[in-house]
Amino acid sequence: MTGVADTLRALAAGFGNALTVPHLAWALVGTVVGTAIGVLPGIGPALTLAVLLPVTFNVEPTSAFIMFGGIYYGAMYGGSTTSILLNTPGETGSIATAIDGHAMARQGRAAAALATAAIGSFVAGTLATLGLTFLAPPLASAALRFGPAEYFALAAVAFAASLSLLGESLWRGALSLCLGLALGLVGIDQLSGEARFSFGIPQLLDGIDVVILVMGLFAVGEALHQARRYARQPLEPVVLRTGASLTREEWSRSWRPWLRGTAIGFPLGVLPSGGTSIPTFLSYAVERRLSRDPGQFGHGAIEGVAGPEAANNAAAAGVLVPLLTLGLPSSATAAVLLAAFQQYGIQPGPLLFQTRPDLVWALIASLYIGNVMLLVLNLPLVGVWARVMRVPPPLLFAGVLVLASIGAYALNRSVVDVAILYLAGVVSMAMRAAEVPLVPAVLGLILGPMAELQWRRAMAISQGDASVFVSRPLSAVLLAAAVLIVAVSLVAGRRDSSAPPAEAGT
Amino acid sequence: MAAASDRLRVALACAVVSAVFAAPTPAWGQHVWPELRITAPAAPGGGWDQTARALQQALQAEGLVRTVAVENVTGAAGTIGLARFMGAERGRGDALMVSGLIMLGGVVMHASPITLADVTPVARLTGEYEVIVVPAASPFRTLADLVAALRSRPESISWGGGSAGGSDQMLAGLVAEAVGVSPRRVNYIAFSGGGESLAAIVGGQVSAGVNGLAELEAQIQAGTVRALAISSATRLPGLDVPTLREQGVPVEFENWRSVVAPPGLSPAQRQQLEQLVAAVVRSPSWARLLERYRWIDRYQPGSDFERFVASEEKRARGVLAQFGVGQAPASGSGTAPAAYPWVVFVALLVSAGGSWLTSRRPPGARPHPAASGPSLRPLAWIGSGLAVNVLAVEWLGIVLSSAFLFWTAARAFDRTRPWRDAACAAVIAWAAFELFDRALGLPLPGGLLSGVL
Repeated sequence: MTGVADTLRALAAGFGNALTVPHLAWALVGTVVGTAIGVLPGIGPALTLAVLLPVTFNVEPTSAFIMFGGIYYGAMYGGSTTSILLNTPGETGSIATAIDGHAMARQGRAAAALATAAIGSFVAGTLATLGLTFLAPPLASAALRFGPAEYFALAAVAFAASLSLLGESLWRGALSLCLGLALGLVGIDQLSGEARFSFGIPQLLDGIDVVILVMGLFAVGEALHQARRYARQPLEPVVLRTGASLTREEWSRSWRPWLRGTAIGFPLGVLPSGGTSIPTFLSYAVERRLSRDPGQFGHGAIEGVAGPEAANNAAAAGVLVPLLTLGLPSSATAAVLLAAFQQYGIQPGPLLFQTRPDLVWALIASLYIGNVMLLVLNLPLVGVWARVMRVPPPLLFAGVLVLASIGAYALNRSVVDVAILYLAGVVSMAMRAAEVPLVPAVLGLILGPMAELQWRRAMAISQGDASVFVSRPLSAVLLAAAVLIVAVSLVAGRRDSSAPPAEAGT
Repeated sequence: MAAASDRLRVALACAVVSAVFAAPTPAWGQHVWPELRITAPAAPGGGWDQTARALQQALQAEGLVRTVAVENVTGAAGTIGLARFMGAERGRGDALMVSGLIMLGGVVMHASPITLADVTPVARLTGEYEVIVVPAASPFRTLADLVAALRSRPESISWGGGSAGGSDQMLAGLVAEAVGVSPRRVNYIAFSGGGESLAAIVGGQVSAGVNGLAELEAQIQAGTVRALAISSATRLPGLDVPTLREQGVPVEFENWRSVVAPPGLSPAQRQQLEQLVAAVVRSPSWARLLERYRWIDRYQPGSDFERFVASEEKRARGVLAQFGVGQAPASGSGTAPAAYPWVVFVALLVSAGGSWLTSRRPPGARPHPAASGPSLRPLAWIGSGLAVNVLAVEWLGIVLSSAFLFWTAARAFDRTRPWRDAACAAVIAWAAFELFDRALGLPLPGGLLSGVL
């Protein structure tokens, strides 16, 4: 398409456009509002943008999109704050962050978790925006080669990589995983349109929301678990660690996960059906595998925060690649952005870079600016947020329960969702008592429906010929990788059997 | 934000005032509505959401309504939103919901007990034509090529489009039927959302694609897909795509969208809503939006619309039954939806059995934490808070039920400070309500306190 020099020239023009006082003000408003709303449970970036869309009716398009860019990145960032502090992830991308992030917060290391999330988001966001700037067209056309067979193979890779997250007992890990798979069956089967296991409850037709299940398993379950054993083990208040938010050791443990998370998150975010849950969990599994002390994962390993957070933000930037180059909205947030483009009579599509280069490049430039703003805004706040953990535990648990309940209700204005939240909490309490890990259930709910759907789509397109999974080169490579990962972990597992077992619960 | 919440406060004050002096305004001289809620029964970004937000934009720009709030209730081709709208807004004269052909399909597909006949029809608003496309690299140059292949080997043509039972699948089936192929043999691959199906079509993962014109137009102009036919009666100006009919396939089709009002309205309430919609569709703002989204003006109010819905529902039922939608697909044994659940259940049972057996073995080095034994009193406190919240939140309102939940949960862990807990409970619950309901415009149930707050 265009050379690097042209890209740089266009980007410079974009910066010239974005670095004016009013546009900077819009970027600031966007990042602040995005972060503030992203912190609320149950409100992800898509709803945030949809709510704020009417605000922009009277604003000219460039300003509006600069603000949207800020909201988008800000909401992604705000979501990780509640995951770490309250164990209530607001969207699928920050579930993996909650596992070790909240464990760190309980140990008084909330500031470190928030700081590594903030810096990791900045690093990943900036690198991924660079990728968006220079590699968007070739990446987008590569992403189009992913069909149902490839997505199925990708789910297989994610399954294989997450085997290490099953925990110390393979049986109990498998039980948890199967529980998640079974929950994933609930709702309308997308291919045939048939309702499965919805028991005549209309709210179940759309399946069980991962975010609600996770809030129930993690946050409500934790409160019930603590209440259950409260008589014997009174709650100990969290003592905040003093000193720098990130120690030298934590820096050196964080920077590689940031880069690896970016490398995993960005390309998967570009895929039209990639989502944010697979890259974040892949990053988590990779960090655990590469760690010298995998036993620490689930108990406050900083790598388990740094990697997934970076992957989440890189994937969020990746979503913009198909949107801006091809006009394909591949996430709910992107669909709202697309609707916003249409509000202004702009039809995003393959020609957007030619028809409205001013708008596109101002948006991209403002993403760089928004990333810097987010870092500058949030790093000083890390210490303030961390003090949330000093709230007396009874009030903290009560607050978490209330926020999770309101979030679950607000998601779809449905009491059924609140009931699912509490049921998940009760199940989680039982699982904790029986030492069944929680994370595999979440993985099952995320990966199961995707694997089933893509498998059946691929089989329908090939008219029932299963060889499609190996005759398509990309799919064959991915499946081979999945087999390799399983083989390597079996061998490694046998070798390391003397090492202390790890628990992947929260 | 502050300005928005002030505006909402003013709007709410106006709502209270007008509720007190409730006197239906005469038809003459459009009065300004203080507040209107529009339910979009789909996720942000889709066609219904866009219709709701376009209505919001036009109503506010024309000064017909001061504050319009759009609520998204997603799922099951709009039937979840329909059920909620019917229950939560009954008798309310300040609420509308976007609906349309796809919802009729959803009602049939999911055997929804609530249909469009259960709500108050207001008007049909728009129509959108559908386009049949193939990937740019496809061997099919014309509709005739595609039809020939469809006739000789129906299952070999995979059709990519939106959700099962929706307008895209309806058109694919109608075309097949018109060229003498049983709709049951149409190998339709349902994708979620515009982006996913577009990616599959543009990327050549399917043989052909069906989608709305608005979604496909940019791709057609850029040449990433080749448009073979459009479902309109005559060619559209400025778009060089032949119609189905002129290529010998006698099918005309459009995906219409409408607005409905809650059930149980008085004739005066109904008339007011009809007048409001009639005023907005005549406005220049609405005309601009129609052009922008490439929607066709299909405004049809009142009893004509009611009859139209009835006939369309019959048509959707007939069409979908013929497709065999909801029955096992003809192609590929591996695609049968019945197999996978069984695999999962067997695995669940096996792993549960395995866990049970292994946990009965003498425990290893780890001491069993469950030895500490449960204590029931704290659990009972939290449990009562949760139970009240789930059973009575819509009656009590979010503030009261959240405050109760907070207080019981705090008390479960520390019984010594009930007053501090109660104060915190009140502040947190009230602040959460303010934030969601007022500042963000995401309505939460006010319940018993709705007159006070």
